[in-house]
Parts: sequence; structure tokens; C-alpha cells
Amino acid sequence: MLDVSGLGFHYPTSPDQHGPKWQFDFTLAPGECLAIHGVSGSGKSTLLNLLAGFLQASGGSIRWRQQELTPLPPWERPITSVFQEHNLFEHLNVADNIGLGLHPGLKLSSTQKMKIAAALERVGLAGMGKRRPAQLSGGQRQRVALLRALLRGQPLLLLDEPLTGLDPDARHILHGLLLEQKRDGVAMILASHDAEDRQVLADKVWSL
Amino acid sequence: MQNPLSFCNAHRAPLSHPGWQLAPGLLIALAIITLTATGVGALMWQAPALNPAELWHSRYLRNVVSFTVWQALLSVLISTLLAIPVARALARQPRFPGRGLLLRLMELSLVMPTIVVVSGLVNVYGRQGWLTGVVSDVIPALTWNLYGLNGIVLAHVFFNAPLIARILLQALEAIPQSQKRLASQMGLRGFMLWRVLDWPAMKPVLPGLLALVFTLCFTSFAIVMTLGGGPGATTLEVAIYQALRFEFDFGHAALLALVQLSICGGLWWLVMRLGEPTKVLSERRFSQPPPRRDNRGRARFCDAALILVFAVFLLLPLLAIVARGYPGLATLPMLDPQTPLFQATVKSLAIAVPAGLLAVVATMAIVAAGQFPKAKMVTHSAGYLPLIVPPLVLGTGLFLLFRPSLGAAGQGMLLVALINAMMALPFILQLVRGPLASLDQPSRQQADQLGILGWYRWRWLHWPRLKRPLALALAYGVGLSLGDFGVIALFGSPGAPTLPVLLYQQLGSYQLVAAAATGLWLILLLLMIFSLAHVLTRAARFRPFARPKNVSVMDIRHA
Repeated sequence: MLDVSGLGFHYPTSPDQHGPKWQFDFTLAPGECLAIHGVSGSGKSTLLNLLAGFLQASGGSIRWRQQELTPLPPWERPITSVFQEHNLFEHLNVADNIGLGLHPGLKLSSTQKMKIAAALERVGLAGMGKRRPAQLSGGQRQRVALLRALLRGQPLLLLDEPLTGLDPDARHILHGLLLEQKRDGVAMILASHDAEDRQVLADKVWSL
Repeated sequence: MQNPLSFCNAHRAPLSHPGWQLAPGLLIALAIITLTATGVGALMWQAPALNPAELWHSRYLRNVVSFTVWQALLSVLISTLLAIPVARALARQPRFPGRGLLLRLMELSLVMPTIVVVSGLVNVYGRQGWLTGVVSDVIPALTWNLYGLNGIVLAHVFFNAPLIARILLQALEAIPQSQKRLASQMGLRGFMLWRVLDWPAMKPVLPGLLALVFTLCFTSFAIVMTLGGGPGATTLEVAIYQALRFEFDFGHAALLALVQLSICGGLWWLVMRLGEPTKVLSERRFSQPPPRRDNRGRARFCDAALILVFAVFLLLPLLAIVARGYPGLATLPMLDPQTPLFQATVKSLAIAVPAGLLAVVATMAIVAAGQFPKAKMVTHSAGYLPLIVPPLVLGTGLFLLFRPSLGAAGQGMLLVALINAMMALPFILQLVRGPLASLDQPSRQQADQLGILGWYRWRWLHWPRLKRPLALALAYGVGLSLGDFGVIALFGSPGAPTLPVLLYQQLGSYQLVAAAATGLWLILLLLMIFSLAHVLTRAARFRPFARPKNVSVMDIRHA
């Protein structure tokens, strides 16, 4: 169970601390999907960045299975993020981009390599392991980003507008992948403006 | 150590402790600052009491300071006025035969050995020069003297106009494609293109660039030594050299060094206040610019004429070096270890290669440490300090300091290599900083989350971006040291000269054919070093960190 309580944040640049302040409280069970939506600046990305450890909270706690996550750096949290764009390293090929999720030094066993190849085939990207991200379409890039996130096998998935701008076919494939993860017990937080995404994936919706 | 609370029993990246990134660079930066302060301090310590009143009482000193400022300002102004139209013309004409070669030549201008280029300039613009002869036939009344302010400014323009033009061209090429397309669609041209696209792209680059060029002209040594001289055309750097080498007047030298430090330091302080200087050297980038209204018809002809004149301006002295040097070089037994040229080459490389390597390693460490906000001030200061501290002052100070133990010639050479490495630092720093900082925020966040830290981050995210700039940086470091005629002039032993010193000796003893051959050989050596750097980083086999050849994802799939 993810338990977020009194998680606070304010941007240090706000003069006299009068700028926007946030405080978040919610819980999320394994296999659940919480969708958040709201206007720009309402704090969707701030929440995701706080959970991932990219921003330092001003107070409160994030607990996962009774253990406190706030003191941990991003790489030690049981979390994987997928952003709207810039998920892939442009100078690395698709297989290496995914492989980095399995080992940060790309020291992959043959089993892991086979796993990557099989996963690529499953999402309709067979034979594209050697391609650079620039040679892929937007939908294909997001599929690669999501594959990396899924193969990493972390129990919490943070999705920041991951399906925005994709064509219906690509969305359909990604919806399928995400629903499968939910069934496997992965908890998700989805920041999305799109009502269809929320309808397909979310168990609860939170308007910020 | 792995955090006991950590959920990800991740593979711990080697060298991932922040100390590995911070400590080496911080130590090197502190060493540079300490070494510089010690060098200048030692000179002052050896000097009798400084007398700042000399500055306004001595007519000679007043003249030296005002001439130094005046020639630097004039050089910057003329170089910039020439470079801006050339850069714009090159940006408007992205494809023509020889464009790549011209750009390579412009990049090389920074490392061309000064003394060799000056000999080429004398062959073209001197009293008996090619061009002087042609022009005086057409305009007999024209009196032109290369020696003095004319020659100094001409040489500075030769070195700096290509540098400014190259960097401005890079700024113009970096204009986002979408903006270029919009301008093309709206049919902008002439002043409007300048106002909307070109000037906003060049404006942020100019303060740092002009400060750099001003500093290079202000601290110019070899050019003023060879084309200037006399009380009417002496700069601070040459006056310091004269005070140290001929008058043994440390007090005088220290006073002049302080004046130079104050002026250049003040200038860089101002530039820093304007914001971090934009990188002055970088990898070439190619783009497919959209059609412009101002690169066809008459405008195209004007651009071609301007580029041609500029190319001729750059090529004529080099052609003169080749024409004069080839007969001597062709008859020289190149591989005979007894020839002075062979020995000087070995000596030059023995100094330049370690100096280049040292400069690259120090730069990498400094840039890595500079990623920490608290260390930024120290690393920045260390990076720019060598630009404003006269190498002669630094060298003399250190020489005085280590004099009792600096017996063997090898130790002196070590000092020369060390100072040369420091002098190359500001340029190499610019070359490496850009690509290293090019990892954007989302990529850094992704890398953090995936645990790509320490050695893994360097191997997988930085090295692919850095391998070409680093090879180029090494070539620049070696090239700058190879052409050094400043520090070596003070420490070099006449019996075992480096290539520039050998050339100076040959010129001094009127062995003009041998001198021309040495000059040409020095240029060829530089070209070989740059070509080697280019080839190494282009070759697919140059992958020192490549994974062992084993079965790949694709191999498995096809199997």
C-alpha cells in the first residue's frame, strides 16, 4: 500500500513563500490506478516528481509497505516514471535504452536480452532493437519507454501524460500493456488530461 | 554503501559516490589557483618594493599600457567587423565546394604557431611581399610598413577574425529550424532577418567572445615580439619579458603583471556578471536550412565574393609558407636523428603531448566538479585564470620558487609542459563543457531513477557525447603547446630548442631556407595531429569502452 500523508512542497523561488504551496494526502493499493487531472500548474507533475524523488518535499511522508521513502534517492525508490516525452536517450539504440532499465551498466545476460527481444516483438516493434529513437514514431517511442518501465519491474508506475498526442492504435496497445500491469499488481498514478485514458485505466480519479 | 531501506537491490554503479565527481576537479582547480597565486607571489616576493607611481611618472610605462589597450581594441574591432559579414555569408550559403575545408581552416587558426604565421604574413605583406609588390605597382604613392601597429593588428585579425566568424556561424546554425522556417515562409530578408534571427542568435555569444579575443590580443607575445618592438609598439607582455630576461628587474615585471591582471581580470569579472560565457568552441553541427530569400541572385554573388576574399586572406600566408618551405623540406633528411629538425620535433612532442593530455584530464575533472553548485565558483575561476595571468609571469614566479631544486633540463621542461597545459585549459574547457552539459533535465532524471550513476553515467551517457570533442580537445592542447613561443622562450635552452625556438634561431641567423622548412614542418605536424584526432573519432573501431563482442538482442531474435 502506498500511503502519502501531509506531503508538502513549495518552490523555493517563491518570494516570501507566498507562491503556490501543495499538500497531498492519499493512499493507493497494489494494482490500483489513481488518475489525477487539473489545469496547468495545479501540481500534477509536482506530485509525480515528489514521489519519484526528483523534488525534495518540505514535509510529510511517503510510505510504501510501511517503509518511508522520502529519505531515499530516486534510484533506490520502488518507482518508475514515464514522461510525455524525452524518455529515451537519443544516442543509444532501442535495445540499449530498454536494457538500461535492467542494468544501469548494460551488463545484460542472454536471458535478459531475450526478454527484451520478446517484449519488443509483443508490442509490435520486432526488429527495431538496433534503431535510434529518432528513427521511431512518437507512438513507437512511448512503447519503448513503457517497455523499459515495465521490464524494470518496480511496483509503482508514475505516468505523466504518457499517451498524449498518440494515434488511436498506439493508445490501444499501450492501454492493453498498462491494464496487464494493473492485473499483475502494479500500482499506478496517471496524470492525464484525457478522459478516455482515465476511463480505461483509472480506479479512482482525483481533480487537483 | 547501499541504503538498508533501499527497495531496488540495484547494481551499484562503480565510482558513484559524489566525492569521485567532486574531489579530483576541486583539487585540480585549487592547485591551479594556488600555483598561480604562488607564481605571482614569488615574483613579488623577489622584487624590491613595488612603486605604482612609476605607472604615471614613467612615460615609457604609460606608452606601453596605452599601446597595449589601443592595439587590442583596434584588433577586436576590425576582427569583429570582418567576422560578422563572413559568418552571415557562410550561414546563408550552406553548400559550396570547399566550405568544409574553409571551416576547418578557421578552427585551426587558434592553434597556428604564431611565429610561423608571422613569417607567412611577412612573405605576403612585408616590404618585399607578394601583395605589397602588386599593390605598390598599382598605387606607387602608397607607403606601407608591416612592422609596428599595422603588422600587429593585421596578424591579430588573421588569427582572431576566423575564430570569431566560426563561433558566430555556430550560433547562427544553432537557430531553431522552426524559426528559420517561419522566417523563410514570411519572406524575411535584409535588415529584418538580421533583427529577427541573426542578431538575437549572436548577441549572447558576443560578450564572452569579444572578451576572449580582447584578452588574446592584449596578452599577445610572439606577434608583438616579431612585428612590434621599440618603445612605440610594445605591449605589457613583451615589456614583462624584457624586464625579466634582459633587465632582471623583477619589481618592474611584477608591476606590469599586476596592471595586466587588473585590466584582464576586471574585464572577465564584468563578462561573468553578464552571465556564463557561451562556449567558444564546439563540435560542428550540420543542418538542412530552409531556403532564404537573401541567398540567391545578386546576394549570392556578394556572399561568394566576400567568402572568396576571406579565404584568400587566410590562405595567402599559408601558401607562402608552403612555397618557401617546400624546397628546404624536400631536400632535408627527415628521418636522420642527427638533424636539428628531427631533434626539435622530438623535443616539441615530448613537451606538447604530455601538456595536451594533462590539459584534457584536468579539464574533465574540473567540468565534472563544476556540476556541483558550491564548487562552481572555484572551478570557474581556475578555468579562466590562465587566460589573464601572463604565462611568463607564472613561469618566472615558479622558476624562482623552485630554483634551488630545478637543476636538470627535464625538470624545466616539466614546468613548461605544466604551464602550457594550464594555458590551454580555458580553450579546452569551452570545447568540453557544452557536450557535457547537453544532458537535459528529463534525461538526468531518467538516469537518476534508473541508477545510471558514476562510471555507468560516464560510460553510457557522457562518453558518446564527449569522445569527439575530447579528441579535438587533445589536438588543441597538443597544438597550442607545440606552437608555444612564450614560456619556452624563457626556459628553453638554445642547445636543445623546440620547433618554434629552432625557427626563431634560424631566422636570427639568416638561415631563411631552413627556417621556412621548419615553419612548414610545424604546420604539417599540426595538420597531422588534427587529422589523426578526426580519423580516430570517426573510425568505427575506435571504441575503447566497447562491450566484448557477444550475442546481441537482434542476433537472438533472428536465431
